[in-house]
Amino acid sequence: MSDLPSPVTDADFARFCEFLYRRTGMLFTPAKRYFVDRRLAERMRATESRSFAVYLARLRADRDGEVEALINAFTINETYFYREDHQLRCLTTALLPELVAGKPPGATVRIWSMPCSTGEEPYSVAMWLLENWPEVDSYDIEIVGSDIDTRALASAEEGLYGERALMRLGPDLVARYFGREDTRLGPAWRILADLRDSVRFTSCNLTDATTMALQGRFDVVFCRNVLIYFDEASRRIAADNLFDALLPGGFVCLGHTESMSRISPLFRVCRYDDAIVYRRPREGEHV
Amino acid sequence: MSETPLRPLDAPRVLVVDDASLVRMYYRGVLEKAGFAVDEALNGIEGLERVLLAPYDLLVVDVNMPKMDGFSFLRAVRGREPPIRSIPALMTSTEAGDDDREAAREAGANFYLVKPLPEDVLTAHARALAGRRP
Repeated sequence: MSDLPSPVTDADFARFCEFLYRRTGMLFTPAKRYFVDRRLAERMRATESRSFAVYLARLRADRDGEVEALINAFTINETYFYREDHQLRCLTTALLPELVAGKPPGATVRIWSMPCSTGEEPYSVAMWLLENWPEVDSYDIEIVGSDIDTRALASAEEGLYGERALMRLGPDLVARYFGREDTRLGPAWRILADLRDSVRFTSCNLTDATTMALQGRFDVVFCRNVLIYFDEASRRIAADNLFDALLPGGFVCLGHTESMSRISPLFRVCRYDDAIVYRRPREGEHV
Repeated sequence: MSETPLRPLDAPRVLVVDDASLVRMYYRGVLEKAGFAVDEALNGIEGLERVLLAPYDLLVVDVNMPKMDGFSFLRAVRGREPPIRSIPALMTSTEAGDDDREAAREAGANFYLVKPLPEDVLTAHARALAGRRP
């Protein structure tokens, strides 16, 4: 195969994974060699690096923003609207009623989709609130979507989706929140401008306390299907950062295969009819 | 072909003035379902520009907005010539206190409704004020 400009040795692979791990918290073992090699080859070709050593030097110097391009190539952006909607149901039937009980009318409610990939999740939250939360007009709802992948964020801001992303939405919801467009690649659906304006997008790294702190504190954080890509140490850092990103009494929702209890002792496990979520203890409350 | 349902040309026109896009979307959804044609403005200044440009049968106005709040907006509308000054107005707010209610009345609001507004409440008040059943 002429996939790689020059062969990447096991030692190169190890050095590269070490670099990626330190920058993103994502840990790739030799079992993921094929996945890593393909993306690495893609970046080496794109930067016309003749050898791995040349590419690594470019990466270390972050020439032409190569670190960002590399991160973009390694993030996985497979998602769709209303994914794991039992958690969205939990948001409107349990979490928000509990949260706003302690707030005056008109107060701010901050919801964070982190990572938000190409925007399906934060837009789903906005749509779900409009459809299912009778108090949607009573609070100043701020929805923020963040990701480490700047290419995904640009796509989220554009808000143009293919049929697959909409597969869980009924035709009435699609008609209400999207406008159909015919593109070169076939039909696509653009999110309504008002819905797009209801979400603010920012770039952020879950394992970097500084970029996390810049986002402020939230009432609810959706952090789904990302910790599975981290090793134990990164998971713990991410959990600490998530804890700091929550207001006291705020909730974090993980993917259904993930459990915070196995990662961090800081959170209280809350079992609701529709989902298990994790709460930062309120002031003066013990875990 | 657009997939947006076509409204009859004589559907009553509502202007929703609210800075929160989710709230505008929610009111738009309810009012369109009730047969109104809905326009939106993000604050009082944009609202004023709109009422000067197009005839409206109803204004739905939030109290708390940046740049120009709902009270100032409505006072400005009531200070114009007819028919602009007589457009019925429904004010919405999260404040249930008597002071705000009184301020809304003085500014020229026909109704003052405390959020949240369930679909049936908004529809009933909008229909009553717009003067004809869409």
